[in-house]
Amino acid sequence: MFLVDDLLVKPFVSILDVIHAMAIDEMYDREAIMDDIKENQLLYELGERSEAEYERRKAELEAELDAAEEAHERVSGKVEVMG
Amino acid sequence: MSSNLYTYGVIEKESIELDERGVDGGTPIRTVDYRTLSAVVSDIDTMEPERTDENARAHDEVLREVLLYDGGRTIVPMQFGMTFKSGRTLKSVLRGGRRAFRQALNDVDGMIELGVKLVADEGADLDREAIREDVGGRLAEVSARETDDDLYSDRLVLNRAYLVERDGEEAFGDAVEAIREDYGETLRVQYNGPWAPYNFVDIEIGAQGR
Repeated sequence: MFLVDDLLVKPFVSILDVIHAMAIDEMYDREAIMDDIKENQLLYELGERSEAEYERRKAELEAELDAAEEAHERVSGKVEVMG
Repeated sequence: MSSNLYTYGVIEKESIELDERGVDGGTPIRTVDYRTLSAVVSDIDTMEPERTDENARAHDEVLREVLLYDGGRTIVPMQFGMTFKSGRTLKSVLRGGRRAFRQALNDVDGMIELGVKLVADEGADLDREAIREDVGGRLAEVSARETDDDLYSDRLVLNRAYLVERDGEEAFGDAVEAIREDYGETLRVQYNGPWAPYNFVDIEIGAQGR
């Protein structure tokens, strides 16, 4: 949740920055990606996912996580959206 | 090989050397002392080791070797990736954090960590809350502490780490076996460990300390 106080204490933060940061949070949910990485590992350990499929999915998710980290780093200097 | 040190965890002062291959293949695994503490380390070239499956496994395996070393040692594990530029910087971190390390060593003295997951079939219709209450209650009786559930998948009914006295591992294993007998038809029971007590110590070392 965005704290309105942020706008009061950081008047230089534009509403567009805030909306952008919220959109980044929505689009790149790092926790959800981490959960998917752990689930992929679990399904592999249970023998429900082949090693090839596990490796493919893992690479895919790690790339998503990198993209999410980068996107968050780009906006983190501008505004912080409280979860 | 540079003089960077990859650090696995901290034990009561003792000189230990292991043949195990460490993170990034580093050998030997040895100890660096500061007063009454010893850090378990290996040499490493980089300051930012990549968290590959192989490296994560090497980190866990070294900790497990120390945990089981010569009848068992108490170890306060570091999170993956703790690398220091030299023995001197590592010692200064041990000095700065000595109270926290000492407290953590006391908190987990003689303890190991065990993990239990209950996994449901895809779309299974179960009374998950009742299962958690029953299984959670049974495992609480044979453990000292437990974590909250980490239910990162819809398939997970229960996923907890347990802190157990080293001598209590067998009783805990028996309890898990009984749970497997009772729930084996509807749930997969995944039991793992012993691990260093990652989930029961909380020491953070900032990058500025390294």
